[in-house]
Amino acid sequence: MTSEGFKRHGSNSYIAEFAQNEREILINLAEQIIELLAERIDHGHEDPLAAMVGITSHDSPPEDEVLHRLLPNAYQDQADSAEFRRYTESTLRNKKQAHAMAMRMYLKSAEDGVIDLDHDGANAWLGAVNDIRLALGVRLNVQERTQDELELLAPDDPLRGVYIVYGWLGWLQEGLIEALMDES
Amino acid sequence: MVKTDTKIEEEIRAIFSGDTPWVTIVWDDPVNLMTYVTYVLMELFGFSKAKAQELMMKVHTEGKAVVSTGSREEMEHDVARLHEYGLWATLQRGDQAL
Repeated sequence: MTSEGFKRHGSNSYIAEFAQNEREILINLAEQIIELLAERIDHGHEDPLAAMVGITSHDSPPEDEVLHRLLPNAYQDQADSAEFRRYTESTLRNKKQAHAMAMRMYLKSAEDGVIDLDHDGANAWLGAVNDIRLALGVRLNVQERTQDELELLAPDDPLRGVYIVYGWLGWLQEGLIEALMDES
Repeated sequence: MVKTDTKIEEEIRAIFSGDTPWVTIVWDDPVNLMTYVTYVLMELFGFSKAKAQELMMKVHTEGKAVVSTGSREEMEHDVARLHEYGLWATLQRGDQAL
């Protein structure tokens, strides 16, 4: 990894330069999030009018652990949570997808590897990177594993690469936040 | 005389008195960076850096913190925005044990 991360330029510009391989990794991760957040195939009753206004007939939390972390319950109470999910999950998926799509668009349109974000772009970027980190965090089981255990993953452990990317994304995110908070 | 459920009675009273008995809680999460939680709280709620950092530290050390109080609809809106940015948040009645 060679990028020096995001630096603030002027009042509303946050610039980072990425090597080709870094861009490819970031685009790939953004696309995985976009795919993951695609609507669940609804086996329940299909009401096109309800779907149009973002109401889905499913109200149970996603079975996939990663998706469940990205689309968490809003209430500790199961019944309240199910009701809330029915009316809001679809919108939440769309908003998260929009963040990841914005991130992908920035990366794809940066021919020379230079990304220039304004404040809103930076917020979308942060949201997308955070969703990727949440997803990787579930796969790495950071809830149970200590930092030391993760540091000591064997070089041939497939999770080793995941952990390196996870750490790098955290560093990238931290740098962008520092640049953003600089002005306040 | 008809006996009313006290919980319902309380709720009805809250509605008519304009009480705002709901809270939004942010829970600790091993993935979200401390700086990120601070930044999101500043962006979404307009908190000062000091206030946002104080709440973030409360989440970090105590496992959770109330970040906003208001009507149920307002708290649902706040939780949805926090979920959009990946913070782990729930809402509940303010008089419920945290």
